[in-house]
Amino acid sequence: MQSDTLLISPDDLILITGAAGFIGSRLVENLLDGGYRNLRCFARPSSAGGRIEALSDLHRDRARIEVFKGNLLSPEDCAAATKDVAVIFHLAAARGEKSFPDAFMNSVVTTRNLLEASLLHGCLLRFVNVSSFVVYTNMQKPTWRLLDESCPIEKHPAQRGDAYCFAKVKQEEIVTEYGKKFGLPYVIVRPGYVYGPGNEGITGRVGIGTFGVFLHLGGSNRVPFTYVDNCADAIALAGLKQGVDGEVFNVVDDNLPSSRQFLRLYKRSVERFRSIYVPHALSYGLCYLWELYSKWSEGQLEPTFNRRIWHSYWKKSRYSNAKIKMRLGWMQKVATQDGFRRYFEACRRRVQSA
Amino acid sequence: MLKVAIVGCGKIADSHASQIQRVKGCEIVGVCDREPLMAKQLYERFPVKQYFSDLTTLLSEAKPHVVHVITPPESHFDIAKICLEWGCHVYVEKPFAISESQARRLIALANERGLKVTAGHDDQFSHVARRMRTLVQSGFLGGAPVHMESYYCYELGRSGYAGALLSDKNHWVRRLPGKLLHNIISHGVARIAEYMTSASPQVLAYGFVSPLLRGLGESEIIDELRVIISDEERTTAYFTFSSQMRPALHQFRVYGPKNGLVLNQDQETLIKLRGPRYKSYVEKFLPPAMLAGQCLENLGTNLRRFLVKDFHMKSGMKYLIESFYRSIVEQTPVPIPYREILLTAKIMDAIFAQLPMEGSQPQQRLTSAVNTLVV
Ligand SMILES: NC(=O)c1ccc[n+]([C@@H]2O[C@H](COP(=O)([O-])OP(=O)(O)OC[C@H]3O[C@@H](n4cnc5c(N)ncnc54)[C@H](OP(=O)(O)O)[C@@H]3O)[C@@H](O)[C@H]2O)c1
Repeated sequence: MQSDTLLISPDDLILITGAAGFIGSRLVENLLDGGYRNLRCFARPSSAGGRIEALSDLHRDRARIEVFKGNLLSPEDCAAATKDVAVIFHLAAARGEKSFPDAFMNSVVTTRNLLEASLLHGCLLRFVNVSSFVVYTNMQKPTWRLLDESCPIEKHPAQRGDAYCFAKVKQEEIVTEYGKKFGLPYVIVRPGYVYGPGNEGITGRVGIGTFGVFLHLGGSNRVPFTYVDNCADAIALAGLKQGVDGEVFNVVDDNLPSSRQFLRLYKRSVERFRSIYVPHALSYGLCYLWELYSKWSEGQLEPTFNRRIWHSYWKKSRYSNAKIKMRLGWMQKVATQDGFRRYFEACRRRVQSA
Repeated sequence: MLKVAIVGCGKIADSHASQIQRVKGCEIVGVCDREPLMAKQLYERFPVKQYFSDLTTLLSEAKPHVVHVITPPESHFDIAKICLEWGCHVYVEKPFAISESQARRLIALANERGLKVTAGHDDQFSHVARRMRTLVQSGFLGGAPVHMESYYCYELGRSGYAGALLSDKNHWVRRLPGKLLHNIISHGVARIAEYMTSASPQVLAYGFVSPLLRGLGESEIIDELRVIISDEERTTAYFTFSSQMRPALHQFRVYGPKNGLVLNQDQETLIKLRGPRYKSYVEKFLPPAMLAGQCLENLGTNLRRFLVKDFHMKSGMKYLIESFYRSIVEQTPVPIPYREILLTAKIMDAIFAQLPMEGSQPQQRLTSAVNTLVV
């Protein structure tokens, strides 16, 4: 990275929330590799902190890594953690949470606390909000059209029936609101599906195993994968490059495989299992029926499957990383082939130990 | 139109809001949470008129007839008291209060003001629990219950709730007198209280920290509990709470002088246990066939209910809410007699008073408690 285009110097204090998480721990590594020497890693007391502690030991002579134990639900913890911080990488969120209030609390209330605390100190140069592809509606868009940063986000996130989507949309809303109201400098990063050792599941964009047999829903769709190290790299750039305040960046890798190609590779490399392909028209019909039934039955079945979720997950789309390449100079460091090799290895280990 | 408000917009608020909106003749006029963002998110997702972050503003502006208090248990008493003082009927989530004395004071205040209260013991109003109640009332047991067994388990693993609770020494659950147990066991205890007749049964409790939690460095969260309850030596009951046994049962068994009943909450099945035995080998062949028949019958009932869209996961809550509102509008008796709410609180008080807190020796306590009972 060219130092004249950078927002901060290597000794400025950086706060990383969700630092013990899947992507957060790679981001810490990435920043250390980039020569940043003053990191504050926010983790809950219950977080598995082994990885950060190991990094801290490894870089003992070169960097100061403070592990800040707290909870972003506590305004006091937020105030203490944001003191003297120049850049915040905000990754903490309730990923995988099924309850709307819990997802909201650990993604939106936490973000508000962090934003409030940052305003208090007045030394923040950038707030990087890590969002997600789930915020895009993808509804009023023809099949196979490009999904990029200019696409609209979900206007009725509660109707998606997905607590995580609701929370991430609301999280973005509050960040932009603070940006507008208080001039807080922010950048939003929206990764696609982040894969790699540490996140060994098969994304719902490929299919679901809920009903006993794996239903393959993706078919010929491209899956917006990004390998965890590539994603961490993109997030780091979004926090460090000058002149991108208020911008949104999608993160996907190059050479994305189709869902079918991915599933074939997975079965060959990790484990064999039976899957049934559900054609797009059928999966759309089933989602619609589920939605109607949920409504008619007054929620006897939760609206887990519905048209909004179908559009977001299983509609054929193309993805672009042109903006992040052009504006941040991001390049995919781990090739897709290598990424999958490492990921499948981790999956194999997990399957064997299960 | 009955005007309803919800105070506390956490996880369980979603269940309340979605069941209230299924009840005819009522509307949610306001939701309230100290954290305005939490109140707002509930307001945005359900048909709710207004949201508030201050209780008295909610009460004065939205003017609800009924308030659902679903905040953490340690605040139930204060919030319910304020609502009663403002002239509202109150539905309080379980546990109704922190102690029997608090429960007694709330009920007295409600009576004094001509208002009604109920506790969130919604499991007692699921389809299967209502079927059981009807059978017991029709005399199926052949008299008053002789013995009951209530299992109320909770799967605690290393992650999720356990992780958050274990790592947070200030977690609100730790401030409850019965800690984790206080927040969970009232459903299982209330089932026993329903069929006990005395107001002061003897209670013998034994609890300890499971090896799993001990291994995680925990010493104060008791997650294994066994209780014997005796109603003037007429009706007895065992209550079991376990975080480790599998399956993690939610079962209630009641045995009368003639027959017995087994309720499985998770599967929503009710099995009748015949008292009389058949002769010789018939006992080995006929009852299993009859049992299979009963299982099929339960399956049929559940399927039928599902098909007529009357098998929601929280159907017990809807029934309880509906019955409570009806008792207010039509001036009929409350769905849960106050005697049961008080007895549940009393049994829980007695359990927590006997449990080893921080560092005491559970085994010694058990021995001394057993001696007391035997003497
Ligand atoms: N993984 C993906 O495919 C993907 C895709 C797009 C976007 N993202 C976004 O990327 C970010 C990181 O995701 P991830 O995959 O690394 O998830 P993760 O492994 O679940 O990490 C999230 C972290 O947030 C922490 N956290 C949650 N609530 C908190 C609170 N109240 N206070 C403090 N910390 C709290 C968690 O702490 P504990 O360790 O204590 O639970 C966890 O370490 C998230 O914002 C997510 O939405 C992820």
